[in-house]
Amino acid sequence: MRLLKGVRIAVILKIILVTITLTVLGFLMQASLLAGDVQIGIFFGISMVLIALVYFTKISIPMKFFLPGILLLATFVITPIIYTISMSGYQYRTGNVLSKPEALEMLQKSDAFAQVPGEKQFDLKLGWCDEEYGDAKDVANAKVCALVSYYPDDIYFLSTATTFTPLPKDRIVFNVLGIPTDVTKVGAKYTWEPFYDDEYATFDKTTASTRFKYNQPNTFLRAEGYSVMAVYAARITYDAKTDAFTDIKTGAVYKDNGRGNYANTEDPADMKYPGWREIIGLENFIDLVNNPSVREPLIAVFIWTIIFAVTTVITQYALGLLIALTLNHKIRGRWVYRSILILPYAMPSIMSILIWGGMLNTDFGAVNNLISLIVGQPVSFNWLGEPTLAKISVLLVNLWLGFPYFYLISTGALQAIPQELTEAASIDGATGGQAFRKITFPLLQQMLLPLLIASFAFNFNNFNLIYLLTGGGPRDTLAGDSAGATDILISYTYNLAFNTGGNQNFGLASAVSIVIFVTVAAISLYGIRRSKVLESFT
Amino acid sequence: MIFVKWFTTKGWRHTVAWAACFFALFPLYMIVLTSFKKTTSLQVGSFLPTGFSLSNFDELLSNPLIPFYTWMSNSVVISLIVSVLSVFVGAASAFAFSRLRFKGKKGSIQLLLLIQMFPSVLALAAVYSIMERVQIFAPGLGLGTIGGLILVYLGGAMGVNIWLLKGFVDSIPIELDEAARVDGASPMQIYWRIFMPLASPVLAVVCLLTFIGIFNEYILAALFLTDPSQQTVAVGLRAFIGGQFETNWGPFAAGSLLTSLPIVILFLSLQKYIINGLTAGAVKG
Repeated sequence: MRLLKGVRIAVILKIILVTITLTVLGFLMQASLLAGDVQIGIFFGISMVLIALVYFTKISIPMKFFLPGILLLATFVITPIIYTISMSGYQYRTGNVLSKPEALEMLQKSDAFAQVPGEKQFDLKLGWCDEEYGDAKDVANAKVCALVSYYPDDIYFLSTATTFTPLPKDRIVFNVLGIPTDVTKVGAKYTWEPFYDDEYATFDKTTASTRFKYNQPNTFLRAEGYSVMAVYAARITYDAKTDAFTDIKTGAVYKDNGRGNYANTEDPADMKYPGWREIIGLENFIDLVNNPSVREPLIAVFIWTIIFAVTTVITQYALGLLIALTLNHKIRGRWVYRSILILPYAMPSIMSILIWGGMLNTDFGAVNNLISLIVGQPVSFNWLGEPTLAKISVLLVNLWLGFPYFYLISTGALQAIPQELTEAASIDGATGGQAFRKITFPLLQQMLLPLLIASFAFNFNNFNLIYLLTGGGPRDTLAGDSAGATDILISYTYNLAFNTGGNQNFGLASAVSIVIFVTVAAISLYGIRRSKVLESFT
Repeated sequence: MIFVKWFTTKGWRHTVAWAACFFALFPLYMIVLTSFKKTTSLQVGSFLPTGFSLSNFDELLSNPLIPFYTWMSNSVVISLIVSVLSVFVGAASAFAFSRLRFKGKKGSIQLLLLIQMFPSVLALAAVYSIMERVQIFAPGLGLGTIGGLILVYLGGAMGVNIWLLKGFVDSIPIELDEAARVDGASPMQIYWRIFMPLASPVLAVVCLLTFIGIFNEYILAALFLTDPSQQTVAVGLRAFIGGQFETNWGPFAAGSLLTSLPIVILFLSLQKYIINGLTAGAVKG
């Protein structure tokens, strides 16, 4: 019994902890399987096996350290990434979110029907009858039942939602105008009982939407008001054998187009909705390149994303470094300056971004007020509503958010540069400026490059700032712009995928996110190579 | 002449510092000014305070429709649990990366890096649908629950934290571990008896950074927690100003002030450690 060798408190604690974890996971597995979610159940099962193996045996010591982290990463990071990547191969957008059977069911149920041209208009008298046409006032079985007639041709019948019963003329009671008003009873039983006046009051709710049965295939009767009945037919019929819909009126045939919709075989652009999620391979990626309405906003957004990220890094670094150089001397109040200057970094960024949003308001914003105060006359810059100003605003706010970080790391780096280097330079006759340009700055650059690249990568995906400050706007939705002036790739993609109310295209968004992923990964890998972060692992 | 000399040696430094401080303080001053105003608008007639009133705080704290305390405690509970657990779990992985030898170490750390670069906002839809399914059989852990959000945050914080912690752990001298190993200690014993006590200040700082990060998170919290009594302070406060009107800036500013103050104080008091951590990676090279 290796397990019990040297029983100590630590081992007992471990066993208790692992057992509790296994029990909880076991319960969850049972619950998920009971709920019919086999995939998640299997995931819990695998987790349990792994945990038991790793912590009760000595298979792998590093695994004992890694497993909790790996399980969390696998569930909430890796699985979603794989899901997103696989979705980029799908037609998955507004109108194509269901599975095919679900979509088919909805298409068949859909209320696409129309009055059949050239069919008769029947006279209608509403009433009750029961299932077997026995006692019509037997409330339990009574059904709304239409007495339908077309006296020029002597056609008379009773119709409910499910039954169609022809009647001989001799059982019909006519009024003085020759219109049927009642059906004579046979024996002691009523076969049909007309509506009382008050029952007409509830007519709209119960009967207006009922499809009464008619004796022609694919058709039904529908009440038009209280006294007229018309023949309707579904516009489309479905044939399961050929998996095709046929439009009854035009004769057009709609077949599975292999891309998630039934499309008109004559005119592929004419499709039935809803469609379903369908694998379309690389089509989303091809769209990125070939479809101008996708490509053009994407290129514009891509260029702005690069400009935004580069400008942000440069301005934040420049201001941070300037302040670091300024305060890298013993001057009075340096400690106070330092504490004030890191405030923007210490402040929860979400609050700062939102307050900046208010300050940049055209009418009541503090920024316009301040400028008015300085120039001595009222100004009304539309900071967040005018494309160029909005871009400037985003950069300005980001400068505010980020310069303290660069101030801090520049200070740290400056203090790490040996004094002797600059001293030696000044002995050799270099001015302060020369020493900075030739010695200090290149050294700083070398030290800070990985952080500059990390900052670039972070800002490349700085969703919070754009989303909370401008929402990617301003965008001219009337002109059909899908991308706003300040949209960066990630906010643009978010809009593509989750845009409420508009056209969501999750497949395309997934494709864009893979492009982003590859770009950022390439840039970061370059940075890592340069900074040799991974050297310690070789 | 004396002034010119002073300016070229020290004065310009003060001028630059003053200008920078003005820039840094401007929005913060606006928050303070707005929160102590009588009206709830952000508009200022003058940049000098014209009166002092606690009505915005009063509105925020005593209006029964604004569960500010609940938001605050939700945010604190969520951030605290996530930061403590993720540092706890992350530290183990960071220790293994930094101190243990095993096959595929380089590959796995590169994979971890790569995973970090995926635009996580996009993975939202998948996370959402997973949690929707969990909701069906485990109502306390699924969509719309704080428990579910904590799990999702934990997963998301893992990658960053392992990286951050690895940087810190690398800076802890390895000699002590080695001495213990020579004395026959197992990796587990080294981890619990030697590494953890040594690393605890570092872990506390990473914990704080994670806390702030989670506290700042908006989009997941907004998507996950729709019931007002479950929302976090970031989501709740944003609702004040999310509409077309400027009317609720007062309570928003008051709320921001109350929310930010503890974090800013914590940050300033621990700044030495935080800055050391931030610059460790850079200055080492």
